[in-house]
Amino acid sequence: MDKKKIIDEGLLELYLLGELGDKEVVAVEKALNEDMELREQYRIMEEDFERMAFENAVDPPEKVKQSLKSSLESENKEVGVRQLNSASESPTFQRSRLLVAASLAALFALGSFWLYLRWQTAEENLQLLQQQTAEMQSRINDLEQNYQETNMRYQQINNPNVVPLVLVGNQLLPESKVIAYLNHATKEVVVNSQGLPTLDAEKVYQMWADVEGEMINMGLVPTNQQWISLKYIDHAESLNITIEPPGGNDHPTVENLISNVIL
Amino acid sequence: MSTKAGDILALERLRNGEKDALYSLYDKYSGALYGVILRMCKREDLANDILQDTFVKIWQKIGTYDSQKGKFYTWAYRIAKNTTLNALRKTDNLIQTEDLNVYDNKSAELTKPDYTALNGILKKLEPHHRRALELVYFQGLTHREAHEEMGVPLGTFKSYVRQALKQLRQRYQNEALLVLWFIEALAYG
Repeated sequence: MDKKKIIDEGLLELYLLGELGDKEVVAVEKALNEDMELREQYRIMEEDFERMAFENAVDPPEKVKQSLKSSLESENKEVGVRQLNSASESPTFQRSRLLVAASLAALFALGSFWLYLRWQTAEENLQLLQQQTAEMQSRINDLEQNYQETNMRYQQINNPNVVPLVLVGNQLLPESKVIAYLNHATKEVVVNSQGLPTLDAEKVYQMWADVEGEMINMGLVPTNQQWISLKYIDHAESLNITIEPPGGNDHPTVENLISNVIL
Repeated sequence: MSTKAGDILALERLRNGEKDALYSLYDKYSGALYGVILRMCKREDLANDILQDTFVKIWQKIGTYDSQKGKFYTWAYRIAKNTTLNALRKTDNLIQTEDLNVYDNKSAELTKPDYTALNGILKKLEPHHRRALELVYFQGLTHREAHEEMGVPLGTFKSYVRQALKQLRQRYQNEALLVLWFIEALAYG
């Protein structure tokens, strides 16, 4: 903005009176900085206005100055009081902070304890579940094993090569009944001993195969079992059950023969 | 731009937070500023508050004053003017009420001094020049408001202001010359 425009448009007066916008203020201040003559003109204008103001001065009441002093003093006091308060309240503030911290700590502790209890319960439940799962697994395994065994037994007996034989008790033990399944193809013997009466602890049942007059041990026969695998003996002519001492006998006690069946 | 040495010192102290410096500046400038404020708001009680607010603002904003950009008084004048205009906007309704009260108590009004009367060289200017300066300087009107108030075109009003300032300058210069002549006459007998 050039000097002529500033003077012609009366921008110096407007600048002095504070009526210019920000852009014009910047432009006028720039011109004043750069132009000494303009600056001098403005200085004179300021002096004239100031002198005019002083010529028209009105003494303000003394109370205004007192009020100003009070205002500034109270401002100071407020600052001081604020500082004092903040200083004197410091322990209270700290106590409050401690109380808050303690409360938070207590809440945290309670929360932690509650979580611990929940965790313990969950742990117990988990252990119980694991135990139950293990039991279930065990039962499943047992069932599976039983199934496989049953299936195997079933396959063993439900076979055209299997010959079922019933060994009915003689006069020594007429109530006994044993079923034997013989598979000559696979050379397997399976016995169901559920029909055998229980013996004293000093006695056991033992089964024998008669091969050309010689009794050959097939194995012990525990009572009350569905499936007992015994030794298959080739060329057996009959099957025989005797009562023997515990552990069985090398030779059958013929007088204790309770049942036999001819093949 | 041109701040007196005493003022420079006081302003420096003021910037350092010394209240006594503010009170010193108050003693010097409060009358001139109060004259402006009082003529603008025409209410003594309001003018008192505004003058106090003005000096509180000077106290608070002294850091923003740049002596390179102008005299302290010019800066303070702008603060006073703006503070007064803001106060008048806020208390516009109140002023209406106060005016009604004045009508109810004319005798009290008559005893009050006429703050609107102008003094000094200004009083010696031609009426339209005096009025132009009065409107923009002592009543805080913008040039646009003032030219409407005077009922003359804006360009004419601007000319009035410029001519008034020119006359003001001449009269102050003449006055200064007269003082110099008087001093010389005294000095040399």
